[in-house]
Amino acid sequence: MSPVYLDWAASAPPEEAAIREAAEVSMRFFGNPSSPHGAGKEAAEILSQARRRFASLIGASPSEIVFTSGGTESNTSLLLSLLDRYRLGGAERRRARIVTTAVEHASIHDQALGLESLGMSCTVVKPGPNGIIDPQAVASALDHDTVLVSVMLVNNETGAIQRVAEISRLVAEFSGRKGRKVLVHTDAVQALGKVPVSVGSLGVDAASFSAHKVGGPRGIGALYLKSGVNPGLLSHGGGQEAGRRPGTENVPGACAFASAVEHRVSKLAESLSSTSLLMGRLISGIKEIRAARIFPESRTGVDWESFSPYILSAGFPPLTGEIVVRVSDENGFCIATGSACSTKKKDRTRVPESMGFDHQTALSALRVSIGPETTAAEIDGFLQMLKEKIPPLLSIFQGRGEPAGPSSRQAGAGP
Amino acid sequence: MSGPRLETDGLFLIKYGEIALKKRNRGTFVKSLKESIRAHLPDVPLAVHETFHRVFVGFRTKDKERIAEALGHTFGVVSFCEAVRVPREMPALEEAAIGLAERFLAEGRGARFKAEVRRADKSFPLTSYEIACRIGDVLSSRFPELIVDVHNPDWILSIEIRERAYLYGPQSPGLYGLPVGSSGKGVLLLSGGIDSPVAGWMMAKRGMALEAVYFHSPPFTSQGAREKVESLTRILRRYAPGTVLHVVNFTPVLARIKEKAKDEEVTLLLRACMMRFATLLAARRGGECLVTGESLGQVASQTVESIHFTGTLSELPVFRPLIGMNKEEIIAVAHKIETFETSNLPYDDCCVLFSPAHPLIHPEVNRMKSAYNCLSVESLLVEALEKSELVSV
Repeated sequence: MSPVYLDWAASAPPEEAAIREAAEVSMRFFGNPSSPHGAGKEAAEILSQARRRFASLIGASPSEIVFTSGGTESNTSLLLSLLDRYRLGGAERRRARIVTTAVEHASIHDQALGLESLGMSCTVVKPGPNGIIDPQAVASALDHDTVLVSVMLVNNETGAIQRVAEISRLVAEFSGRKGRKVLVHTDAVQALGKVPVSVGSLGVDAASFSAHKVGGPRGIGALYLKSGVNPGLLSHGGGQEAGRRPGTENVPGACAFASAVEHRVSKLAESLSSTSLLMGRLISGIKEIRAARIFPESRTGVDWESFSPYILSAGFPPLTGEIVVRVSDENGFCIATGSACSTKKKDRTRVPESMGFDHQTALSALRVSIGPETTAAEIDGFLQMLKEKIPPLLSIFQGRGEPAGPSSRQAGAGP
Repeated sequence: MSGPRLETDGLFLIKYGEIALKKRNRGTFVKSLKESIRAHLPDVPLAVHETFHRVFVGFRTKDKERIAEALGHTFGVVSFCEAVRVPREMPALEEAAIGLAERFLAEGRGARFKAEVRRADKSFPLTSYEIACRIGDVLSSRFPELIVDVHNPDWILSIEIRERAYLYGPQSPGLYGLPVGSSGKGVLLLSGGIDSPVAGWMMAKRGMALEAVYFHSPPFTSQGAREKVESLTRILRRYAPGTVLHVVNFTPVLARIKEKAKDEEVTLLLRACMMRFATLLAARRGGECLVTGESLGQVASQTVESIHFTGTLSELPVFRPLIGMNKEEIIAVAHKIETFETSNLPYDDCCVLFSPAHPLIHPEVNRMKSAYNCLSVESLLVEALEKSELVSV
């Protein structure tokens, strides 16, 4: 029996039509889009079609789309562009502040802290216990020096949907009062193709996207840059992507990306309703298991305004997430610890700890993420497995559960 | 070695120091050294023989690098180098000396040299001094750039007159110690940490053959942790070639401890069960002692009281070669023997996962003994032993 895949947020199973399109474009339109000859022009035309196709799916115009290698590049290149705009030497860089949150992907969170070490300032807004950022908290963090606000749309670990439209509105009000532009960026990698995404209604100036989270190939993504927003350039090269991202374009990747998103967006309503049902079933099933925790506790399984039905963070403390992932794997289920993207140990507990969970509880976090093809039978099988495997492991951990006796001298040293 | 005589075209000369001092046992020790060299190179044809204070390894040129590598990792070797063997006649000696000098010059070892002669066989017509003078003259006239400098030479040309004459130049240092296998066999409690591989290495250095045991606790410990221990065993095998690894599933024992014991006692009782298990394994595998990586006071289970208690679980001697070492010193050895990087890979062992917030650090031995007896764990340990796996690494 092939394993049940419940790690869609790490990488979605490939969408066959998208991968076929990539193969076909690779074979037929191999020319370099910058070349002036026929083969080049054909490739350029296919690329511009892909750009149009993708742009229309997120309510942008084609000129606002920069194809990148994926979500991480989209995020980091936008942040790094600030280095060019706010040059070293003067007081300018010291006064450039990024406002972001404690629940961002490492390619925003760690990159922002990296810029701080290069002379910029950074304010990290914490979420409430439910993992959701209060837009007012972001507004209060804005100051005269703030140049960029970055808040992710759907959290990759908890599925929390941030109120990005409201944040954009508050930032725009602040900008209006101060008479200087503050850019708003959102990391929409876990939102694209899963919940409705329209850059217009979000009111953002920039947004990041990735193909392989929606069935497209690895190595292609996009950065939306609203018309008129021209962040400084850091990479120099052949002037591709209107000078915004040099390097010979990944034409087959862009086509497959557009194809995968088209497919997902066309079935978005359908898959939202199917995944909502499954996620509700998963949450209530998990809650029946001893020691189960849902991160956040307040998540009900029907609050789809605030949580993506594709992602669940849960745990069985004191079992670490790593143990549950291992047991699941041995029993044919692919799930993840907090975030599959992080191989850095200290980053694993950042998000749950920012929500107020203690370190031990945060270590128990695991992520179950589903997709449009996930079935009820798969969820039931997973729940059945957890119900069988988790309690005996918990019993071992819990032991006889008596507190230590009073007669011995003790200390807090390790074993 | 029986069978047809091996055609060799190269020769390593090996000096062994300490073991030569053990007069009456010299034969046994040299035999172990020879066996140890062969054990390092099971698939390389070698002609190993020994004369007083020297072991010679004849080899085929294509195996030279591998043999040099092995000799550098063989305990009991004080130094080694390639040597030339010629008949005991001055013309042959001179010709060989010229050949070596030519090579040392080509290698840029310098122009100042000295010839050092030992006559193990005093029947040779010239004295050591006369031979040295003669060779010095021959080389100086043949290579005008060479200068005899007996006080501060760049290189020394050594000549030993035995049943035949041996000539050699600068030697590579060995690891000293005693050949593995000459000091019995111990069971090494090998975790994935920094300390236990170093402890094993130190006992191997004193001639102990090792059988390592790793306590695996799936699913609490990962496959990665197990693979790390397998890698560490492979590194130890570079020094102690016969080292094998036993992997035992200790989860049932862990479960029993958690079920019966107070939280504060869990780590100590787990250590105690490991000691008991290792003792049972030693009985089965001909081990004469246990080896652990404990260092006094490093953690709660390594205080004098804790060590006293865990030691009561074995009637065998328990060697703790790191007991008086600081962590920095242990790490320095781990770097030297190349286990550090592997040990430092981030996989939790079960001791970390199950360590209580407040472990006992000064346990009362009698109380702990009765806590151990309450576990009634002996049959579980025997069962674990039956199911333990001998891993080829």
